Amino acid sequence: MTEGLRTEEFQVNMGPHHPSTHGVCRFILTMDGEVIISAEPVIGYLHRALEKICENRTYVQCIPVMDRFEYCTSMSCNQVFALATEKLAGMEVSERAEYLRVIMLELNRIASHLIWYGTTALDLGALTPFLWAFREREDVLDLFEMTCGQRLTYNYIRIGGVARDIPPEFIPKCMEFLDKFDAKVDDYEAILTENPIFVARNKDIGVLTPEMAVAYGVSGPSLRASGVRHDLRKDDPYSIYDRFKFNIPVRHNGDCLDRYYIRIQEMRESAKIVRQAIEQMPKEGDVTKRISANFKPPKGEVYSRIENSRGEMGVYVQSTGDTKKPLRVKMRGGSYNQLQVMPELVKGHKIADVVAIMASLDIIMPEVDR
Amino acid sequence: MEIAGIFVYLYEQLAATGLPQVWVDLIALVVAGVIVFGFLAVVALILVLWERKVSAQIQQRLGPWYTGWHGWRQTIADAVKLLQKEDITPVTADRPVFFWAPVIAFTACFAVYVCIPFGKDLIVSDLNIGILFILAITTFTVISLLMAGWGSNNKYALLGGMRSAAQVVSYEVPMVVAVLAVIVFAGSLSMVDIVESQAMIYQWYIFRLPFGPIAFIIYIIAATAETNRTPFDIPEAEQELVAGFNVEYSGMKFAMFFLAEFVNMFTVSAIGATLFLGGWQGPFLPSWVWFLIKTFGLVFVFMWFRWTYPRLRVDQLMEFSWKFLLPLAFANLILAGWMKYSGWFNW
Amino acid sequence: MRELVDAIKNLVIGLFTSAKHIPRKRVTLVYPTERWPMPERSRGIVVLLSDKETGELNCTTCLLCQRACPTAAIKIDYEKDEKNKRHLKDFQIDFTVCCFCGLCEESCNFAAIKMAPKYEFSTLNKEDLIWHTDKLQEMGRDVPYELPARKKRAAAKKPAPKPAEKPAAESAKSEPEIKEEKPAAQPEPKSTEDVDSNPPEDKKEDIKPADSAPEKTEAEPKNESPEKPEESN
Repeated sequence: MTEGLRTEEFQVNMGPHHPSTHGVCRFILTMDGEVIISAEPVIGYLHRALEKICENRTYVQCIPVMDRFEYCTSMSCNQVFALATEKLAGMEVSERAEYLRVIMLELNRIASHLIWYGTTALDLGALTPFLWAFREREDVLDLFEMTCGQRLTYNYIRIGGVARDIPPEFIPKCMEFLDKFDAKVDDYEAILTENPIFVARNKDIGVLTPEMAVAYGVSGPSLRASGVRHDLRKDDPYSIYDRFKFNIPVRHNGDCLDRYYIRIQEMRESAKIVRQAIEQMPKEGDVTKRISANFKPPKGEVYSRIENSRGEMGVYVQSTGDTKKPLRVKMRGGSYNQLQVMPELVKGHKIADVVAIMASLDIIMPEVDR
Repeated sequence: MEIAGIFVYLYEQLAATGLPQVWVDLIALVVAGVIVFGFLAVVALILVLWERKVSAQIQQRLGPWYTGWHGWRQTIADAVKLLQKEDITPVTADRPVFFWAPVIAFTACFAVYVCIPFGKDLIVSDLNIGILFILAITTFTVISLLMAGWGSNNKYALLGGMRSAAQVVSYEVPMVVAVLAVIVFAGSLSMVDIVESQAMIYQWYIFRLPFGPIAFIIYIIAATAETNRTPFDIPEAEQELVAGFNVEYSGMKFAMFFLAEFVNMFTVSAIGATLFLGGWQGPFLPSWVWFLIKTFGLVFVFMWFRWTYPRLRVDQLMEFSWKFLLPLAFANLILAGWMKYSGWFNW
Repeated sequence: MRELVDAIKNLVIGLFTSAKHIPRKRVTLVYPTERWPMPERSRGIVVLLSDKETGELNCTTCLLCQRACPTAAIKIDYEKDEKNKRHLKDFQIDFTVCCFCGLCEESCNFAAIKMAPKYEFSTLNKEDLIWHTDKLQEMGRDVPYELPARKKRAAAKKPAPKPAEKPAAESAKSEPEIKEEKPAAQPEPKSTEDVDSNPPEDKKEDIKPADSAPEKTEAEPKNESPEKPEESN
């Protein structure tokens, strides 16, 4: 009966402004009825030329610029650049500063995963977990505000240490937050994890095979959901991560549901790391290094990388040895690779799944566009 | 404190003025219609605000707060805002179809209230095919959805309209079959008879195991889908890429669709309360108070669902209805028929 | 069948999870009736600080903040007198480009510029967001600050040509101050003093990172001052 009917493909533009809250990303979807045949991402709407800006700023001034590279995990951006510069210049960081860095990084990871959780639920129609996640995030941001003064772009982890020491009320407040955080994550799981509607929307959707993940350079929780056990905090430890006991959750299905499970578990693991860091931290010590205005690291190039909440975040810094400004700063973010793999994942799925897949990969556009 | 007496008195006064009977009846019907319309307008106003307050409670925030004490004037503010918006009709739209779609949606949702018993003797007209009339009128919304989708002359609105029409029609069937189970037991299509057969609390159809709770759950799920609410709100969700049927509507026409949705929610709650929860039956308080309590209770359940669950994809939605709800509803109907015939649980 | 029972159970658990938030306290702050108490380290607008007694700007036009700013939001207009010393003509901050990073505050050695925990400064025109010396100074008048350690030491060392009640207060306060300053200030208090009194050019403190072993960081009293018992002048 359908031989006489003519069908044709049509294109839907999932425009740069769309209610899926991952930033300005545009997809041109070619569809056959409800099923997607191909998807072409169009990026560049959030390009701010950060790499070029860094070429005209001194190393200390690059840190606030790096904040904006991925503003959901601003501490990680600071950290990766500070690591690169410290490697170039051969600087040591004091013990207490290292512990403070780890505490801030893991708290930032929790905050970033809370954004991911809220927006994933929001994209799928559950409007309540978004508000709950942001309520917890407010507590984390209050901790950051009392330490460095800002809630999103911290400029806290500096070359050689951190900007200032934590105020005395930080640790009691942090412990208070950690004590109630586990119960809140249980709440988040109760409303979504076993919910049959949520499972039906996420199971076997967007299956990423391990070979495809490695070929595209996907990293972070999306890679671990496909069965590849790779976490830079354990495989290539930077800072003092080798002193903490934590697990790396790995799953083997590679669908959206597994990526969800892994990030929920990672929130819990980060809370564990923060507790251990607070216990082990030396009670006193200096945490800041005053970098002169004429700081010129010796000639060289370095690529340093860390495990961000969205995968491997890396920065490549090249210095000439006789200028105060880096010659080249290249930033690498995990979301770029995950956006690259999206057209493969959405083939054959329905249009409502595009949103679910993008949410589960945790792509945010500042990392893609820089 | 029954208020039926007031209306009886007013009717007698009107009849005593000596007008011909047909005029008396006509005036009485018009007055009744106006009263019901006014009541429902107020209810819609309350429901819009209540939805926002309930969602705020669940999300631990405040909701509307500044417009009036705790935001009670918020809906009035929203209505004024919608009224003063420009009424845009797209140039290429099919004008009569575009114009009549919200009118039909609005009219259909009010026309149902002819047969709903608000309390003891408080019903505009006790048709002996009451529930059949109601189920038939609620189907009018499908026409208005299709008209809205077609009249907008926008491929996304058309797709959205067809999807929501498909959704409503698919969930009508299990709803009707679930309601049939109750009708089989009550033995009558008249709403008043159905309420009166639930005189004691253990006679409420929701408690008549095992067919009662199953019929109630099927009814609730189907009613959520009928009124386009989460988890079945694909047509209205902003996160879905294909926009809904009301994408080209603005101003008062949009307000009509919006109000129609809330009044529909009240309607299905009222029907659910009448069929399953005993209508206006209850001790101590006047009957209309019981009716309102039960109906608003069911409205709260619908709102609770909306703010807890994510939404289903369109194909999952259709699959759920045809492959799961409908066979369950049929099995339930057979069970109810057998129970009535064999006399079990027949108190 | 088992999955059906599980599904219903999980749906009901979800309902109760959301319902248990209904009786809880609301976390909304009713702004502007209530305001969040900003932590003292909040990085809000940039203000210029004035001396507490004379009311004059603490700024010595050393231009360090202008060089530290990554977005070139600070523009300082100055003139040089016959002794080649700079005098401030106009201090301009363009808040449309300021990124609130705090590098200017950290670079200042004179407690002249600070980020106050104020955030309500929206305007209707872009031009009104470019602030000059008078507005910056006025906004900074009620911002508490501590003198940099160098100034405290200088004030403590001066033989007190000040009014009568001051010396008692100053000497009483400066005694514990000096005792605590001494152990930390070992390596090179003198060099920072000499350097800071002149407008610094490129030939100033070249603390190479390779040399800046931990004792240099101890030498920076400014960073340690929050941990000491303070008196605020």
